[in-house]
Amino acid sequence: MRRKGWIGIMLLALWAACGLDPVWAGVPTEKVKETTDKILAIVGDPALKDPAQAIQRRERIRKAVDEMCDWEEMSRRSLGRHWAKRNEQERKEFVHFFGQLLERTYIDKVEGYSGEKVNYIGERVDGDYAEVDVKIVTKENTEIPVLYKLRTRDQRWWVYDIVIEGVSLVNNYRTQFSDIMAKSSFEGLLKKLKEKTAE
Amino acid sequence: MKETGLVFVIAILCFVSLEDISSGQSTAIYAPEKGFGVQRVELSSSQTSSLQVENMEEEPEPGESSGEEVPDPLEPVNRAFFEFNDKLYFWVLKPVATGYKTVVPEEARMCVRNFFRNLAFPVRFVNNVLQGKFFGAFEETCGFLVNSTVGLGGLADIAAAVDLKRHEEDLGQTLAVYGSGPAFYIHWPFFGPSTLRDTIGMAGDTFLDPVTYLGDYWYAPGARGLNVVNETSLKIGDYESLKKAALDPYVALRDAYYQNRLSKIKE
Repeated sequence: MRRKGWIGIMLLALWAACGLDPVWAGVPTEKVKETTDKILAIVGDPALKDPAQAIQRRERIRKAVDEMCDWEEMSRRSLGRHWAKRNEQERKEFVHFFGQLLERTYIDKVEGYSGEKVNYIGERVDGDYAEVDVKIVTKENTEIPVLYKLRTRDQRWWVYDIVIEGVSLVNNYRTQFSDIMAKSSFEGLLKKLKEKTAE
Repeated sequence: MKETGLVFVIAILCFVSLEDISSGQSTAIYAPEKGFGVQRVELSSSQTSSLQVENMEEEPEPGESSGEEVPDPLEPVNRAFFEFNDKLYFWVLKPVATGYKTVVPEEARMCVRNFFRNLAFPVRFVNNVLQGKFFGAFEETCGFLVNSTVGLGGLADIAAAVDLKRHEEDLGQTLAVYGSGPAFYIHWPFFGPSTLRDTIGMAGDTFLDPVTYLGDYWYAPGARGLNVVNETSLKIGDYESLKKAALDPYVALRDAYYQNRLSKIKE
């Protein structure tokens, strides 16, 4: 009886070790969950519901989102083949404004959350790349599938694309950008981007 | 009714021949050697736009998603219709839906949504069967029976509560599974984003939708109108946020529609 108990404990320890040990296991999901939980806490905080706190509230959501999203990688992928032709200065400027637009879009989306549930369905890790499957269940019981795409940079996971109901944010912007570039130029695109973020 | 059926058949025939020409090879709408519709046929390579070719220049990276785009030869016309629908939304549909929203409580609006979704069961059932998704068809049937009885004629979505999943399949997806490409993008006035394939699918699905057979006069259009206003009232703000996030809302909507359809076809 005693021996069986020991085996049980050893198996438990082994199971715990397996669960914790592999370098990246579970980490992409944790990264997404950490940020999502932070945002849900801010959005649900009654002290921040007051309209007078709106700016502070947005600022705190912004901070949480910045910790998860790799704006430069998103910019690079959205610009696609045009990225290579831009110099350092142009890239910096582009990342700055596009990052702002993405940030705003994301904050606008999550700011209206109330009573939504976030279920973590699963994750796939392939070397430096990972995908985290999430289902958002709205108040009306509609399920919205969301896929976070992550990659590692500086020893940690960063989100570089968010796919909502099959629509990839990066692909959607890439289509728009290449259309605008084909009709005008990079300067034209940057001008449009500045106007948009100033709205 | 007979004439409409005939027009529909002719449209399908035209569509099939058009696909043949564009792909330069015969496209069988039903390919028995591929198994009964289970095989998922990727969209034909003829649909690959120049963008994808350009993307090829980039070295492929892991995690890189394919940059497929839908051909849009009718862009000037489509843009005009997009502007029309934009105005239609802000000047007519949104005010009407907002008024309706203030009068009808959310619970009742959910019931209206459930009712119409339950009623459209034949569309989902037939397309599940046509795609060889027999479990989907079975689960749909169970859901329909439960909702139509215990769910009081579909007003309550009991099926979802007991974890019976809905399998949203339509004729546009069925045609894609049988090997048809989207052909090209169409932004219809009133109906919004579609492709030639999905338009034909929508027309075909109308025959399976019980609302079509609601009788003469204005019953069917009236019911459809109610459905549209009700749906709009449940998602006011979605279109606004798409517009706010987009540099070119027309292209953003076209791409979102196409990407969403691709993912639905893959499911």
